[in-house]
Amino acid sequence: MANKKLGMGSVVATGVGLIVATSCLLSLGQGSAAIGTTFIISMVIACAINILFALSVSELNSLMPNITGGLPQYTLASIGPFITIVIMVGGYLACNTMVSSAECAMFGNTIHSVFPHTGIPASAYCVVLVAILMIINLNGVDIFAKVQDFVAYALIVSLLILGILGTLKIGVGHPVNQPAVLSSKFSDITGLCGLAFFLFIGCEYVIPIGDKIDNPRQKIPAGMIISLILVLTFQIFMCLGFKNYTPWAQLGKSTTPHVLYGTLLLGPVGTYWMAVVSVLAVVSSVNTVISSLAYIAAGMAKIGLLPEIFNKTNKKGAPVAGILLFGGIILVINALGLSTSSSLSFLILCGCAFWMLSYFITHINVLIFRKRLPNAPRKFKVPGGPIIPILGAAGMAWMFWNISSDPAQRIQIYIVCAVMVVILSTYAVIWIKKVMHRDLFKPFPMEEVMAMDNDLYAVYHDPKTGRLRANVSRGANVPDGSEA
Amino acid sequence: MKFSRVEIIMDNAKLEALLSAVGQYGISGITVYQVLGCGVQYGSKEYEGVAKTTPTLLPKQVAMVVMPTDQVKAFLKFVSEELYTGHIGDGKIFVSDIEEIMRVRTGEVGIEALEPQKH
Repeated sequence: MANKKLGMGSVVATGVGLIVATSCLLSLGQGSAAIGTTFIISMVIACAINILFALSVSELNSLMPNITGGLPQYTLASIGPFITIVIMVGGYLACNTMVSSAECAMFGNTIHSVFPHTGIPASAYCVVLVAILMIINLNGVDIFAKVQDFVAYALIVSLLILGILGTLKIGVGHPVNQPAVLSSKFSDITGLCGLAFFLFIGCEYVIPIGDKIDNPRQKIPAGMIISLILVLTFQIFMCLGFKNYTPWAQLGKSTTPHVLYGTLLLGPVGTYWMAVVSVLAVVSSVNTVISSLAYIAAGMAKIGLLPEIFNKTNKKGAPVAGILLFGGIILVINALGLSTSSSLSFLILCGCAFWMLSYFITHINVLIFRKRLPNAPRKFKVPGGPIIPILGAAGMAWMFWNISSDPAQRIQIYIVCAVMVVILSTYAVIWIKKVMHRDLFKPFPMEEVMAMDNDLYAVYHDPKTGRLRANVSRGANVPDGSEA
Repeated sequence: MKFSRVEIIMDNAKLEALLSAVGQYGISGITVYQVLGCGVQYGSKEYEGVAKTTPTLLPKQVAMVVMPTDQVKAFLKFVSEELYTGHIGDGKIFVSDIEEIMRVRTGEVGIEALEPQKH
């Protein structure tokens, strides 16, 4: 495991790096093209709701600090294994993998649009990138931190500069004379909140690296909120820049709106600059997703929700199985060219729906722990009593209802979610009843979930059932580990 | 003014977090002693899950401070947040009344025995 402690800069970089992605720029372009600069209101609403989530998850982290799995472990201790597996394990991991595949596709499309004459298919760029990122992650957290900081700051600065240039109309291209507002109807604004939500998801990925952060109980909430506000700021600038340089109709049709914007803003320089930004965005988000999902899966394996192989690490302390699995799935999807399909934008929204459900459950977890453990010390407690978690949960439910402005597509998304819930529920019931031998909705004692995070727990217990191993029951000598 | 004795049984690694409290909450000194002890788990580690029938004494530290009683609540909140990890073994805190305090060298009693001597 890496010994270096990460500071606030790395926390913000991790948060921003995961929040900002090339596919976000696509969503930003689509949303802006739909209703013009009014999309900023949608973004503000979505950002605010995500800040509420950041506060709730920070309180959970202060209550159960330094656990590797994050959201699933909070849910296991509050609601029990069934919801944990359906929403957190299946839904969360699956949607992240799908979204990252789309992210890679955007990367490939962007590079291909800049260098169309090389004869190299877009998917090839994706495959090479994912392979490199997998190797980086297999080498441990230190390298992860160095990569993340560099790409995140470079990305933020690039988008901020390009956004400001476009906002102030000081690009070399010709500004476009077009109305700023295409629609100011409240229904149109709220109908795009689901799309806007995608622009801000992912700040919770700092949680799995909590034990590598100096003073995590203070830096995590502050870092997440700073990340969200930073992202909102430069996305507002980008939206204003779109208005000044990118015809709305052209923007809405483009599969690489960010490259289009860069080209119209700064000519060839902008084209290559936005291409670099795309590379940085994909590198930062896919890199961190592969790593964070692997650590989340390791945490889940520790507590028996996934096979134990996900908890095995190499000499660098990297969870090998998770990195190979999630990176491998992303690589395969891109290699097959499936990620270039237009249906991926639909899958992204389905992924967002599950993300919203997991965020909703997070707020519920806070309320449950407030009731069950009112006096447990919390170095960070969400102010205002239950108001913010309740508002946050309501906000997530509202955004789920507004996942798409197209009613037909919304129904399709709900159907996909329902099908996934049925499949995951079936797996959950079988796994919990037949393998774990636990009750579906009985929360695990918090001390048991905390104990599960210790590597020695698996020596004494079968993590799936929680029962003592037979050799321990018979009184055999077992490793004692270092003194507590 | 009433005073209270606060005795904090904690893990060996947590002392540094408490030292920052000296000078706050009316605390002018701290006494630390190494001890052996156990709680309701009889010294078993949280990952063991084996119910021991005989106690196993684990090395711990006890930090003892004397402070104004009206500051105790705030101090307990600070200490509990600093010591909290969520794991079994975070420790225990005992609060008891102090009847009298004396500085041996000068014979001062009460709050004067805790404050820097005025010249």
